[in-house]
Amino acid sequence: MSKSALLTIHQALRRSFHSLENNQKLWKSVLAECIPLMASLENLAEQSRALSNVQISNTPLKDFPEVEELLRFKLSQAMDTVLCKLHENMASLQSLRDSLTNQVSTVVQLYEQNTDTLDLVTVTERSATIPSVVDMLEWLQDAERHYRQQFVRRKTLLHALSSGNLNFLATATKKWKELDTPGAEDQITDTLCKVSFFVESS
Amino acid sequence: MEGDVTNVNRKCSAVTGSGRKLKDNAADWHNLMLRWEKLNDEGFTIASNIVNARRSSASVSPLCSGEAEGSSGDLVLGNSALREECEKLEDVVNKMAAIVAKMERLMASQRGLVDLEEFQFGPQGRKVPLFHGWNAKDFVSSCGLLLRSFTSELRLKRVLLREVAHCADRDLSLVYLSCWLHQPLVPARARLALEAVLLETGQRHLPG
Repeated sequence: MSKSALLTIHQALRRSFHSLENNQKLWKSVLAECIPLMASLENLAEQSRALSNVQISNTPLKDFPEVEELLRFKLSQAMDTVLCKLHENMASLQSLRDSLTNQVSTVVQLYEQNTDTLDLVTVTERSATIPSVVDMLEWLQDAERHYRQQFVRRKTLLHALSSGNLNFLATATKKWKELDTPGAEDQITDTLCKVSFFVESS
Repeated sequence: MEGDVTNVNRKCSAVTGSGRKLKDNAADWHNLMLRWEKLNDEGFTIASNIVNARRSSASVSPLCSGEAEGSSGDLVLGNSALREECEKLEDVVNKMAAIVAKMERLMASQRGLVDLEEFQFGPQGRKVPLFHGWNAKDFVSSCGLLLRSFTSELRLKRVLLREVAHCADRDLSLVYLSCWLHQPLVPARARLALEAVLLETGQRHLPG
């Protein structure tokens, strides 16, 4: 009985690590897509600021009195387009986060349902190729927490950028990159390494 | 419009006469606008080079005629190279002027079709549409918007051409570049007008 519970949990853990590996790849690619979008926002904000600093009626553009309003409209439309794409990327991140969260809570639930049949020795036992159940659960929960926190921080930043404050937008790329946590990402890569034999075994 | 609504993807066989002319005109409008966009991109690159050259040129002797390194390491254009870029930009603006001239000719041809329609069918125009629902006046109205937009934008481009190499103010230079890139005098409505013309003449189809 203990053996079959262990087998079920192992299977669920394998699915979770597959999901985590997939998650990590897709998460990185979505974040990479956001970098040029942040640069666009900065660029458009700079153009808007320049327009605000200029008195059109004192320049050679004075023959086009409507140009200021029309240009401002186009710049704001362009910013909206970029923000829209960023929101779409944020939705992708949300869906990745949700999928991992679901996967991890399923396996934790399964573990909790079987605590009667699984003794301490079984869940802490590890071999050269198979880490212990408790270690694997801990690593999964750490990874899930990392993505949950990352999502909240990035969503909050996007919300602030959407407010249209030009001075804030001027350093959009820097602020976005400041949210990177290479340490946590390295830990997830490390985890996937540690469980690679386990995941590949059937 | 009374009567049955035509299926928007109905193929209209306008092989002769006014229908043919309008269909060809619509295709010409589309091609002219594509060429304009290409020239706009080309012009933006040249104008950016000119503005960047002006920004860096303060740190280099104004007497040099070739290219040199500025204090920040950017490639700096000397006087003759800068003049060359300005000539390239002038060339772009002249090509855009040629496009607007072609647009004027298309409009003249479309107005001619309105006159013909009035002659044939009276002041209300034809009762049975050539395509889905428009008569010749509708084409003139949509394309008129396009012509007005591009004529204004060309006027703006000429001012930008004249001023971009002489502007020392950083913010104003950026505004000039913004104006070139974003074409504030060509409203989004103008592109929609072109799409409407293409849809009407069956050269665009609605999905589904």
